[in-house]
Amino acid sequence: MTGWHAPDRLIAGYADGSLPDADAWSLEKHLESCAACAGRVSRAVRATAAGPVLTDLRQAVLAAAPRAPAAEPRPLRAPRLLWAAAPAVRGAWLPAVLLVALGAVLLAHVADFSGARPLLLAVAPVVPVAGVALSYGRHADPLHELAASTPSAGLRLALVRTAVVLAVSLPLLTLAGVVVPSSGAPGAAAWLLPGLTLTLAALALGGWLGLRAATAVTGGGWLCAVLAPVLATPDGAVSRHLSDQLSLYVGGGAAQGGWAAAAALCAALLAVRRTAYDRLERH
Amino acid sequence: MTTIQVAGLHVRHRRTVALDSLDLGFGRGVHGLLGPNGAGKTSLIRVLATVAAPSGGRVRMLGEDIADPRGRTEVRRRLGYLPQDFGYYPGFTVREFVAYMAWLKEMPAARTPAAVERAVTRVGLADRIDVKIRTLSGGMVRRVGIAQAIVNDPAVLLLDEPTAGLDPEQRVEFRELLRELGAGSTVLVSTHLVEDVAAACTEVTLIAGGRLAYRGTPEALTALGAASDGVGDHPIERGYTAALRAHREVAAR
Repeated sequence: MTGWHAPDRLIAGYADGSLPDADAWSLEKHLESCAACAGRVSRAVRATAAGPVLTDLRQAVLAAAPRAPAAEPRPLRAPRLLWAAAPAVRGAWLPAVLLVALGAVLLAHVADFSGARPLLLAVAPVVPVAGVALSYGRHADPLHELAASTPSAGLRLALVRTAVVLAVSLPLLTLAGVVVPSSGAPGAAAWLLPGLTLTLAALALGGWLGLRAATAVTGGGWLCAVLAPVLATPDGAVSRHLSDQLSLYVGGGAAQGGWAAAAALCAALLAVRRTAYDRLERH
Repeated sequence: MTTIQVAGLHVRHRRTVALDSLDLGFGRGVHGLLGPNGAGKTSLIRVLATVAAPSGGRVRMLGEDIADPRGRTEVRRRLGYLPQDFGYYPGFTVREFVAYMAWLKEMPAARTPAAVERAVTRVGLADRIDVKIRTLSGGMVRRVGIAQAIVNDPAVLLLDEPTAGLDPEQRVEFRELLRELGAGSTVLVSTHLVEDVAAACTEVTLIAGGRLAYRGTPEALTALGAASDGVGDHPIERGYTAALRAHREVAAR
């Protein structure tokens, strides 16, 4: 590499054909090794009368060329795409769900802890809420900058991912609840409606606060409401108090009816505020 | 025909002003977006990509107002966007990543597999299509980013620093691709590499300090460089510095 580049005069001469043969050959030799000059020459030639001819020729060749026999495009593996539908499922959240479910079962059957069911019921509603927090938004999804520019962005994508989170966590935790002895606490499925309601509440609040803050408020609010009164009682019968507290919140038809109404309200709020999701980002 | 129309666009990042009442129009072709660091290039592209909300002004793209959610969704279906930095799921292959983006862009499922292969082939990664993205080099990841941007044959293509990390040969090939894409759609390319603009763009837009500093053809910018005393090794670089200096003199007055 000499660092030499063809002067404009030489290139102009080459383009309009006025350059002597010997000079043209040496320029061509140089072009073989110098992309910068090659680019300049090709621009200069395209600017001459030869340009349109070259373009037409190229089009004609491209049009006449036999289409390469298109190899049958490989179909996509659908499960992989579904997997991608919820970043939370691939991250630390799934192990956390398994830990909660298995932990409750082990506590009950191996450690013989009588408060396993109430503890599970107290923690379970927070699990899908945490999953939602880890599913959508700049802080959670490495693809967010790209996803935000697509028509799927906003509530639709958040809901698809929430659905995956619920589909994974609801059966797992309910099953764990069934396996754990009740010891006076409400049924294994009693947490389902509260869990759904808290998730919808987090999504609805997310329109104002952003998903991360909204999930912290709803999940944290639930944990405080359940655990604070229990921890405030000094006599040490934690699991009994927890059972009582949960029976108050989720046991019985009235409480469940209340949760159902709250879920409907949150869903309605979400529908009204659906556009708030698309452009959560403000400068 | 104007496909992108920006009027009085304001973008503020907390206290600093990134774009200051910008009025611009772009039609079909390849538009080079030049400017110093912090000039507002990325801010403009992110607003046009419907990712960031402007603090003032109006943007019409493809006949739709992007402040209106319905119009925005319409625009997004026909948009391609390569951000300066983009993340991906580490376990994904090139094919899966581009296909997932096609799904997000609501492309018909029947057309997706062929469109994915075509896009990946156009950026020269056909032989790596089933390789995990995390094993690719920086320049190849950049090309995967370009592939996802063009998978839906966008009418508006926004590329923020597409040539960063590409080697010279890849850049030459990429410019060829740009010219091809510019024939049918509106392509906006932000770049620091003035040579890219000279080689591939039909128009140059220079912004500085959030304002429009210069607009013209690459040839006009080169001519400006020849006529003035701008610094630079390449005529168009001299044009760039001359235009920037002229803009700053006016702004300081």
